[in-house]
Amino acid sequence: MMARLRILARLSLRNTLRQARRSALTASAMVVGLALLTMARAIGDGAHEQWISDGVRLGLGHVTMEAPGFASTGSLDDRLDSARVAAAERAVAGLRASVPVVTSAVDLTVSGLASSPGSSLPVRVEGVEPGAEAAFSKLDERRVEGRYLEPSDRLAAYVGAGLADRLGLELGSRLVLTAQGASGGVAEQLVRVRGVFRTGIPDVDDGLVQIPIATARRWLGTPGAATSVAVLLRSSQETGRALDGLRARLGTGGGADGVTVLSWRQVSPELESAVRIDDFGFYAFMVVLFAIVALAVLNAVLMSVLNRRREFGVLEALGLTRGQTGAVVFGEGVLLAGLSGVLGVALGLATTWLLWRHGLDLSALYGQGISLSGAVIDPVIVPIFRPARVVEAAGFVVVIGILASLYPTRVATRIDVAEALKFDR
Amino acid sequence: MRGSDTHVTDPTAGDRTTPGPSATAVRTEGLWKIYEQEPAPVEAVRDLSMEVRAGDFVAMAGPSGSGKTTLLNLLGGLTAPTRGRVWVAGRDLTELSGRELARLRLEHIGFVFQAYNLLPVLSAMENAEFTLLLRGLPTAERRERVRTLFREIGLDGLEDRRPGRLSGGQQQRVAVARAVVGEPALILADEPTANLDSATGDALLGVMERLNHERGVTFIFSTHDPRVMERAHRLVHLVDGRIESDVRPSGRGSTA
Repeated sequence: MMARLRILARLSLRNTLRQARRSALTASAMVVGLALLTMARAIGDGAHEQWISDGVRLGLGHVTMEAPGFASTGSLDDRLDSARVAAAERAVAGLRASVPVVTSAVDLTVSGLASSPGSSLPVRVEGVEPGAEAAFSKLDERRVEGRYLEPSDRLAAYVGAGLADRLGLELGSRLVLTAQGASGGVAEQLVRVRGVFRTGIPDVDDGLVQIPIATARRWLGTPGAATSVAVLLRSSQETGRALDGLRARLGTGGGADGVTVLSWRQVSPELESAVRIDDFGFYAFMVVLFAIVALAVLNAVLMSVLNRRREFGVLEALGLTRGQTGAVVFGEGVLLAGLSGVLGVALGLATTWLLWRHGLDLSALYGQGISLSGAVIDPVIVPIFRPARVVEAAGFVVVIGILASLYPTRVATRIDVAEALKFDR
Repeated sequence: MRGSDTHVTDPTAGDRTTPGPSATAVRTEGLWKIYEQEPAPVEAVRDLSMEVRAGDFVAMAGPSGSGKTTLLNLLGGLTAPTRGRVWVAGRDLTELSGRELARLRLEHIGFVFQAYNLLPVLSAMENAEFTLLLRGLPTAERRERVRTLFREIGLDGLEDRRPGRLSGGQQQRVAVARAVVGEPALILADEPTANLDSATGDALLGVMERLNHERGVTFIFSTHDPRVMERAHRLVHLVDGRIESDVRPSGRGSTA
């Protein structure tokens, strides 16, 4: 049995190498195609991870914990009290043992008005922990004037450049923040501008003010409270595990015990949609590539079969069954696809590695940044290598090899032996 | 037509599943092969009944289109008869499945084709040992049998050459080696000397005669070559798909 398989495999291999030029041309099409596929997938994964990372850093992390109802009302009434904030922080501390957590941040966010001596504008005021927020958010990297908030700050404000312009604010200018406090009354807080940022996103630049959370809590009369506890993970791939881990530690299944745990997909559905749409584009590209590569293999193997009808007749005359004759042809297609696949994936990984080292700089296309779902995306994309993608590419190759070989195999197994032996005589 | 001792076989010997005496290598009964084509069907073989005894050396002659190659294909199970039956090694080919036919060809029948039909991607040694390999013989035994045979037929030293680097005569000798190395009971040879010069043709016929004489292998040739006809123990003349004459020239062969 093994000897028979060996001779069939030998025939497949030698027949593949026999038409070296044709095999090489077909293989090169597959190699380039698969290298492109592998590289595109890695770049796509890198871009998505970057979108998500940038998005969640300006937003509420990969996973966020908040009070039930806050997502829909955004009201201070739907806040986490100090006990639930402490529970959420303990849950994050516990999660670190099993999931790679980069950092976490506690926010107290409220809508209100920002007033300068000359004007007033609606704003979103975020009370943040300056040290934790600097590690969490990229907002400090978007500073255009002054400095970011520091842990020792009490009355400092970090404001968007658009807001500063419209309110005529400069570094050191006084700013009055007005919002509804926890008691229901209107509360005011005087702060001074210590830094100005520009993200390029009008909504953020024109309407965001960050102040220390301690100041915000005093101002709003919510000691120890927060509207969210956000968790930043090393990779968005860990989101599911983090979500499960936090829910288990909080003993919640979605807010029953006073803390709702949400993923970035739930908090930023537009970001999720953008990733899905981009993925769809990739799979459309994959289908086109699949068709091209499959046709190349089909053409090579079928031409080879049609030129060798007499040989198949001889094989059957010598005692091979039709199935074994077909196995030779099938083996040729799978071999061609397999060898090309290995080379293609290797080339793709090598190219990806080069891009990974230097990053793919798209600033010539997008300038200094593109905006997506309220986040500014870095124009330099760093590809991500994921072993699952190699498995996916390998599966792609196997499926192509099998599908493209089926028809030539069928042709080879259906020849009329007596006619084939007369062929070209 | 040569010879004087005309011998017409008895096609009715034995029943449908047992082809009669054990010395019978091949038997056909009421064999027809009709090719459906325009403007009219072609009757390549017509109601042909014959029997070939084991160890015989039979030449089938006849003009082009007389049905020689078709008959060989029918005897080898390479094509199915339109009507009638064929027995080889005691088995009715018309009742065998494709897999059983393949096994019968592998174990009982050797083919020699006019166009050699060696597999171009295999060396002379690999071509010759192909059927042995399919039959699962150990490498050492396969190689020994092929080397011995190659020495006998003058192919010593050419084991590693691919067919493209062999002359026509050498290729045909490899083809003969491939057919005989497994010592099948029956070898069907379709104009084996047609493309060979006379010296090579004579040498090859000598090899086949020796195999017939020493190993009792049954040979059935289709041929136009007078040299083959002269050496045949039995000469079957086909015309329009029928046996016109079936003679055993006196003094040739011991069985009929």
